[in-house]
Amino acid sequence: MSSTVADGAGAAVTAGRVALAARNISKRYGRRVVLRDVSFELAAGALVGIVGENGAGKSTLLRILAGELRPSGGAVAVDGALGYCPQAAVLNEALSVAQHLDYFRAAYGLADTRRADALVERLGFARYRDMPVRALSGGSKQKLNLTISLMHDPTVLLLDEPYQGFDWETYLRFWELAADLRERGRAVLVISHLVYDRSRFDRLYTLAGGQLQTTGA
Amino acid sequence: MATSPSATAAAGARSASAYLTATRYSLSELARNRFALGLLVVFVPLWYSMFGALFDSTPVAFRYAGTGAFLQVNSHNLTLLTAGLNTVTLIVGFLLFAQTRSSAAFDRRLVLCGYRQATLMLAKLTALVVVAALVALYAALALLIFWRPPSLLMIWVGFFGAALIYGALGLFLGALVTSEVAGFFLVIMVSLLDTVFQNPVDNPLGNKPALQYFPSYGPTQVVVGGGFTHSLTGYGLPSAALWFVALALLGLFFFWLRTRAWNAGSRAHAIAAAPAAAG
Repeated sequence: MSSTVADGAGAAVTAGRVALAARNISKRYGRRVVLRDVSFELAAGALVGIVGENGAGKSTLLRILAGELRPSGGAVAVDGALGYCPQAAVLNEALSVAQHLDYFRAAYGLADTRRADALVERLGFARYRDMPVRALSGGSKQKLNLTISLMHDPTVLLLDEPYQGFDWETYLRFWELAADLRERGRAVLVISHLVYDRSRFDRLYTLAGGQLQTTGA
Repeated sequence: MATSPSATAAAGARSASAYLTATRYSLSELARNRFALGLLVVFVPLWYSMFGALFDSTPVAFRYAGTGAFLQVNSHNLTLLTAGLNTVTLIVGFLLFAQTRSSAAFDRRLVLCGYRQATLMLAKLTALVVVAALVALYAALALLIFWRPPSLLMIWVGFFGAALIYGALGLFLGALVTSEVAGFFLVIMVSLLDTVFQNPVDNPLGNKPALQYFPSYGPTQVVVGGGFTHSLTGYGLPSAALWFVALALLGLFFFWLRTRAWNAGSRAHAIAAAPAAAG
């Protein structure tokens, strides 16, 4: 059953509506099959996790969902704006934090960086705003990586090992942020090789042998 | 549905703003390449003095296609022009290769986040033109320490043309070659062979017709015109423009190939109502 959830910006998002649908996704590298007929749907207002061992194909799946990697077969449909946080922070070493926010403001077609600035404050790295990325610690780079994926308030958020390099306090802030997004009807997909807090997810999948299995949360 | 004029104007303003933002950061990134800046400050005058010290003022015949005649030119001064061409091509080629290669994943992320590939490509070309103009200006002005040529403007034009060609080569190699060492090696070797071959002092086969197909043939003709004649012809410019356009198109094609999103067309499509399997 669907219900309507008002988000902080005043927009309404229908919880339960399908926000992302992956149909029969397969991926092969030569003879090596990484993904076989992976199908699933991600509902608005759901926080879903995909776990799997190293090399199980989790990042490959997420890259396909984000549009970065072409699958060998299958289709992906996204309803609304997509936010993607890659595993390795994809940043420009020569540019500062503030310059990144401005650059991606232009990419997303936003009028300002107010939401990004609020995220920078919330994740606790505002004091590094004018510092070039090459001078940032790994944790701060990951915070910026996450901020870029969230700054346009996407309806679907794909996060690849989003909390690696975070200290405990930032890890907890991340989960507060994820819970906020879910409450506002955003669909959040987190992939990780380790999941400590299974209870935080509405649903948990395991990717093994190139296939997705429901494991429950 | 018809698009209103105000919506079209707003979309145009957004595109212009995105272009200016990308150009600004592209230039900012290039300007922060400290190694290249160091090369510019130290390498250009050093190369002039080293090349200049190797040769005396003995006259040498140079086939100047602008008039179709052989010019008797001063070996020392001709070698200074070769040194100038060599430095601007190396520095601009290296700058654009390093930038394109190091920002490949970042540019792709920008495209995935909504940046139009055409806007980013136009911004990269603009940054290339600005950097090529400035590096050529510096190299032309530094030449004055060693020699006062009849037309510094034509020498700048020739340097600028060579810098554009090698900037486009850097863009091409940066989008195509994944190995940093291989890319640098290619820029260095192509620049050295190309520019030095044009000089009959350094190369006994100089003045041979086959050299007109080399990238720096056009720029060399232009700088020789500026260095040794008072008749300013545009000969050499079409050849330089052709090399620049061909290499830039190749570079932009590979850039486009590397940054495109596989499902860009379907991303915004609404999904037909379906029961949610997850959540």
